Amino acid sequence: MNRFAIVNPGLLTTFQDLGRAEMLKYALSASGAMDQTAVRLINLLLGNPESAAVLETTMMGLKLRALSDGQIAVGGADLGLTINGRPAPMWTVLIINEGDVIAFSEMRCGMRAYVGVVGGFDAPLILGSRSAYLRGSLGSALKRGDEIRSLDCSPDRGKLRRHAGKTLPSRLIPDRSMKRAFRVLPGPQMDYFSEDGIQVFCSSFYTISPISDRQGIRTDGPSIERVKGPDIITDPTPMGGIQVPGSGLPIILHRDAQVTGGYAKIALLCKADIDRAGQLGPGDRIRFEFITRSAAKALMIKQKKMLENARKTLAG
Amino acid sequence: MKKANYPLIRLLGEDSILVEFEAEVSWEISGKVRRLLHALETKGIDGYRMALPSYRSLMIYYDTCKISDDSMLSEVMSALAESEVMDEPEGRLFRLPTVYGGEHGPDVDRVAELSGITAEKVIELSSNLKLPVYFLGYICSQAYMGGIPKELQSPRHQSPRPLVPGGSFGFGGPQANILAVDSPSGLNYVGRTFVKVFNPDRFPPTAFLPGDFVQCYAVDETTAVEAGKRPMEDFIEPLCDS
Repeated sequence: MNRFAIVNPGLLTTFQDLGRAEMLKYALSASGAMDQTAVRLINLLLGNPESAAVLETTMMGLKLRALSDGQIAVGGADLGLTINGRPAPMWTVLIINEGDVIAFSEMRCGMRAYVGVVGGFDAPLILGSRSAYLRGSLGSALKRGDEIRSLDCSPDRGKLRRHAGKTLPSRLIPDRSMKRAFRVLPGPQMDYFSEDGIQVFCSSFYTISPISDRQGIRTDGPSIERVKGPDIITDPTPMGGIQVPGSGLPIILHRDAQVTGGYAKIALLCKADIDRAGQLGPGDRIRFEFITRSAAKALMIKQKKMLENARKTLAG
Repeated sequence: MKKANYPLIRLLGEDSILVEFEAEVSWEISGKVRRLLHALETKGIDGYRMALPSYRSLMIYYDTCKISDDSMLSEVMSALAESEVMDEPEGRLFRLPTVYGGEHGPDVDRVAELSGITAEKVIELSSNLKLPVYFLGYICSQAYMGGIPKELQSPRHQSPRPLVPGGSFGFGGPQANILAVDSPSGLNYVGRTFVKVFNPDRFPPTAFLPGDFVQCYAVDETTAVEAGKRPMEDFIEPLCDS
């Protein structure tokens, strides 16, 4: 079993896994890691089930002290990982000794880094997932002085040896460049917006606002003109839905979003871009681009193939 | 403007279908949504994942590896046809012990003033209401209820209260809710039940279903708190029309 003390939780650190998507039926947000590809990949590196719980840390400040020897892997955003003050590689299984200090010191690229451990973290299992959902009072944010540990009490030594030092080939590291447009499909209330408004939406740059969170990624930029008021009869707000409230500025609904809402949705983010959007941070400039449904499905299949490839490469 | 032909059925995103009925908030229209949901759930379609109802629409999710868009669309069409001739499953009545006024219902006086009746009358009227559950939504299985009579209808607060305790019962206009968890809200809160209408330690986390009815009847604080120790299923009673 690996144990760690939270020396500093940073801006926000929670346990996350792949979420509770099937709970949508009971009108509960799916939650789960904002960048789930990253979670799957570090779990594969560690030889864990892909759904094992990891730490999701946001922007900066997390500092852990190892209370036992063990193995970890870090992926997602590059937040300047150091071990005992020295830079350490991401997407690699790292051997940790008791007393080591694991810290994130600098925001370089992306918004959320993930720390995985052999066996996955022992976080409370709530309705099929270990993901914290703070708005719904499910789980809680980690605090200074908390002690956390992994689930697996006796990983077999052969397996540990095989995984130690394992590194994700660079071709399998997810592309988290924000230069490429975020691809979208038409939303359920596209007819609430004028043709000019839709043109503005898909031809302008939008800057990510600092008040974004796990629920909604807010933007600043040109206002989108509408032909009907912003309010609709409350209807389902799918994850990735892009709603435009009275301000005329798009908000991308993400993992912790409410499941129903009363604002018109101009577009839906393609599934293949959901995890990339999970790495959007304040000041990032993005564009939206409409694509066809078949193109969106092709992107989804491509992403699945990448993951399948990673499974084969990292197996054993 | 061209008149929409309802129901409107559309493929949405990569793996969902949205069915929309007439754009109004009414028990009749939401009944169409509930009947379609019921028809889909009883059909046993391979590849069907789930559906989320709201006032006038149903969002249907399916597994695109198991069923094609076209096959799912035709399943939805046939469920729609079946739903038009079926009766809606009978709703149940949840009678939840509720403490009114004071710290648990800070808006009783406001509603009384806006309605031109006494605070006692507000509590008496509220306590007798059997409110229909249109659907569950927002966060944590929040029940969207309607059926607030004209004499109690009051506008929402100009700015929402930053934190209203879970279990609070309130209304704004014709709509009402019982907060599932502590939340910001602009509704007028008149009482609070301690029965856990959302309990993440159980599956499913709520017993409410669209089409159920809820009565928040007045009791003293001790009785209300005591009732909070029992599961919400304990408070189901037969629904009589009287």
